Amino acid sequence: MHIPDAFIPLPQAAVYWIIALIFIALSLRWARKELKEEKIPLVAVLAAGIFAIQAVNIPIPWGTSGHMMGAALAAIVLGSPFAAVFVLTLVLIVQGVLFGDGGLTVMGANIINMGVIGGFVGFYSYRGLYPLFKNVYPAAFIAGWLSLFIAALACAIEMAIAGTFPLELGLMSMGLYHAIIGVIEGGITAVAIYLIHTARPDIMAEPSGVVPS
Amino acid sequence: MNNKTFIFAGLAIALIIAAMAPFIASSNPDGLESAFFGIFGAKEIQGSELDEDQAGIAEEEVTTITGNEFSFDSPFPDYTMEGLAKFGEAAAVIIGTILVLGIAFGLSRIMARPE
Repeated sequence: MHIPDAFIPLPQAAVYWIIALIFIALSLRWARKELKEEKIPLVAVLAAGIFAIQAVNIPIPWGTSGHMMGAALAAIVLGSPFAAVFVLTLVLIVQGVLFGDGGLTVMGANIINMGVIGGFVGFYSYRGLYPLFKNVYPAAFIAGWLSLFIAALACAIEMAIAGTFPLELGLMSMGLYHAIIGVIEGGITAVAIYLIHTARPDIMAEPSGVVPS
Repeated sequence: MNNKTFIFAGLAIALIIAAMAPFIASSNPDGLESAFFGIFGAKEIQGSELDEDQAGIAEEEVTTITGNEFSFDSPFPDYTMEGLAKFGEAAAVIIGTILVLGIAFGLSRIMARPE
């Protein structure tokens, strides 16, 4: 879902950068206020793992492929949507600057889609779904699926504003592909939470009412 | 599992994924690229054949639409290293993984430390 430079006109790209910078500032404030020292290894490992797993494109039907985004995972494990913004911004900067994966002028839009929307949708749908299932894993799976799917629809809307995609066809094709890629997102999110919880139950976030089983 | 074991186990998993990525990853266009090629007539939305010539034309067309001609030469474009094929790609993803780990660790240390 990494938007390349050519897909968005510069003035619009600048607007996305401004919005992204506001969320980056809020994510730094989160780190300053909420990030406890004992969580530092978890943040570092999550960021590295998310970067690595994003390099694994899994084939889906229709000659297409997709990879995990990781925002829901970061937000759920660290207990804040701003944690996802923090982690995904770092990942996107390294991807864009070193590897040309995702444009630089449009990086604000990529941070909004994958960090902000991915993180907020992942975090709040997990919180809303957990009481329904009374179990971490189905809630995490659906939260992961939703985070990717909604981020893809947001991307389609940005493409329509840019004049790159017609709105309806853009939403339809982005929705179709990412409904499938979302299964990858949801699955790996649930498995990664299981692994982290098994290794270190103490450092998993436990926000009020959401206690990992 | 103590902090040291946790970070090394986590890093080991990340590095194994990074090293394997170029060998197991699909080179099919991703969801956004596929939608783009579909909309610009280089591919059927639900088909799997990509018309390479039309794909090239599509990339020029979109630049005309948006007027965003920005481009820059990244050191390892698309996770490649010149003349090193798949092993260069694995090295690129490994370098990226270690770099992200370092930056995330360093920035968290700076931010989390109380004034």
